[in-house]
Amino acid sequence: MKNILILPVILLFFTINAYSQNYDNQKFEKMSNDIDSLKELSKPGKSKFLLRGYSHSGLEITEENTSFVGGSFNPIFIYKQSDRLMFESELEFELEDRNLNIGLEYANISYLLTKSLTVRFGKILLPFGIFVDRMHPAWVDKFSSKPLGVGHGGILPGSDIGIELRGASYLGSSKINYSLYVMNGPRLNEGDEEPDEAGQLHYDNFPDNNKNKAIGGRLGFLPLSNSSLEIGFSGMYGKVGSGNSQYADVASKLYAIDISYIQNLPFMQSVLDIKTRYSGVITDNADYRDYDNLVNPDAMYTFTNQNSTTFAQIAIRPAMVNNKILRSFEIAGRYSDLLTPEGSKWASNLNQWEFSLNYWLNWRTVFKLSYRTTEGEVEYDEGTDSPVGKAFLFHWAIGF
Amino acid sequence: MKNKRKSLIYSGLGTLILFALIFLLSNCNVSNEIKAKSGAQLWGENCLRCHNNPSPETFSDVEWDVAVMHMRIRANLTDEEAKKIAKFLKTAN
Ligand code: HEC
Repeated sequence: MKNILILPVILLFFTINAYSQNYDNQKFEKMSNDIDSLKELSKPGKSKFLLRGYSHSGLEITEENTSFVGGSFNPIFIYKQSDRLMFESELEFELEDRNLNIGLEYANISYLLTKSLTVRFGKILLPFGIFVDRMHPAWVDKFSSKPLGVGHGGILPGSDIGIELRGASYLGSSKINYSLYVMNGPRLNEGDEEPDEAGQLHYDNFPDNNKNKAIGGRLGFLPLSNSSLEIGFSGMYGKVGSGNSQYADVASKLYAIDISYIQNLPFMQSVLDIKTRYSGVITDNADYRDYDNLVNPDAMYTFTNQNSTTFAQIAIRPAMVNNKILRSFEIAGRYSDLLTPEGSKWASNLNQWEFSLNYWLNWRTVFKLSYRTTEGEVEYDEGTDSPVGKAFLFHWAIGF
Repeated sequence: MKNKRKSLIYSGLGTLILFALIFLLSNCNVSNEIKAKSGAQLWGENCLRCHNNPSPETFSDVEWDVAVMHMRIRANLTDEEAKKIAKFLKTAN
């Protein structure tokens, strides 16, 4: 009797088992098909795109006023089309004098020709000195304002349009990097548009004001095998006057020497960061019309057109201490100066100190509390704030 | 006119010499000390030279591919550095 009952139970068991195994197989097959089609969908492909950028704003207390400033937004598009071909561009949206300014910081294509040589075409941040192409983003810069000599009111180039060859190689345990470029080059202010700036160089030179192209480059040398020290030499030469004017032969020579040094200081559980750059801009002397001479409108004047600017900065961050709050702090100090030609209508002799206490929320988000003091002599437009004086600057920046 | 031709010849020669130098340098012996460096070490030495060292978990593998290529060009990294650092960032993210 018992045996008779057991037989159907066993039969039933095998039937159910076979059915469920079959069901499991089907399910498994379906799942692996699903995974395959998901894989198909998310296959990375060769071309890759990254949308990044940064933003900053701040509160500035100067001797004349107290104002929230900035509110800049800089989106960056980076597109890698293949292992050799890349496009990078940065836009800048900035509020200035109650207007929204939109700028194209850079837009260029890079192609890796060999392991140690890359060619770039388009609008590039010039590797002249180290500030513009390595330190300018607000989340990289350790200070609330730029050093004297760069950016608005400065004498140094930022970006330009042209072709560049660049790369890096080993030299035993050392490394060198190089860049050689042909660009539109600077444009001389000949005094007919902004007479007060006659003799200054402008770097927004497109289309070019002459047939001559500026050539320039930078050679960087990293003598230590841990890359902690870099010494760089930059130079640029080109004719800057308009092709069809009396200034056609006026040329400019620009040069810079820069040093960067990064070192762990185990006894202080800190990282030391030193960066400095000295740079000169020499333009051939020329005669400019003196628009201020109301008696003789044909009067001309000239001056020795030599300019120079320096910055030197040091920063210490106790990045290796255990306390999370303490290791997010950083202190930084910077000296900068700017000397523009005596006898010109934009003569200045300024020097500046800026000290900053920074708090890093993460590697690319920072709050900077800075104190800045600027001394010296400078000509500046009536109705605008004097660049000389003391200021408290509180800025915050995020890179994303 | 003569001057123009002269300066053309000089700049042509200059470029040729530069290319020859770069070619020679790229075949230059790399010391064993450099060859032995790991991706993590190269990341630790190079990626804090201009900004704070970016943490690997910032990006996905695909994003690191793009960011490292961007930095390779901007910061003049060598081919070996870029490859080893990218590999490290993609395993540590
Ligand atoms: C020579 C200076 C320099 C070095 C060295 C350097 N970076 Fe950068 N890095 C920059 C600058 C400048 C930017 C900002 C780019 C911009 O806004 O135009 C940046 C931006 C970035 C960003 C944001 C995304 C992007 O591509 O803009 C990442 C991620 C990054 N760097 C990672 C790295 C890594 C990883 C290394 C080490 C291999 C490294 N950096 C080494 C200068 C440097």
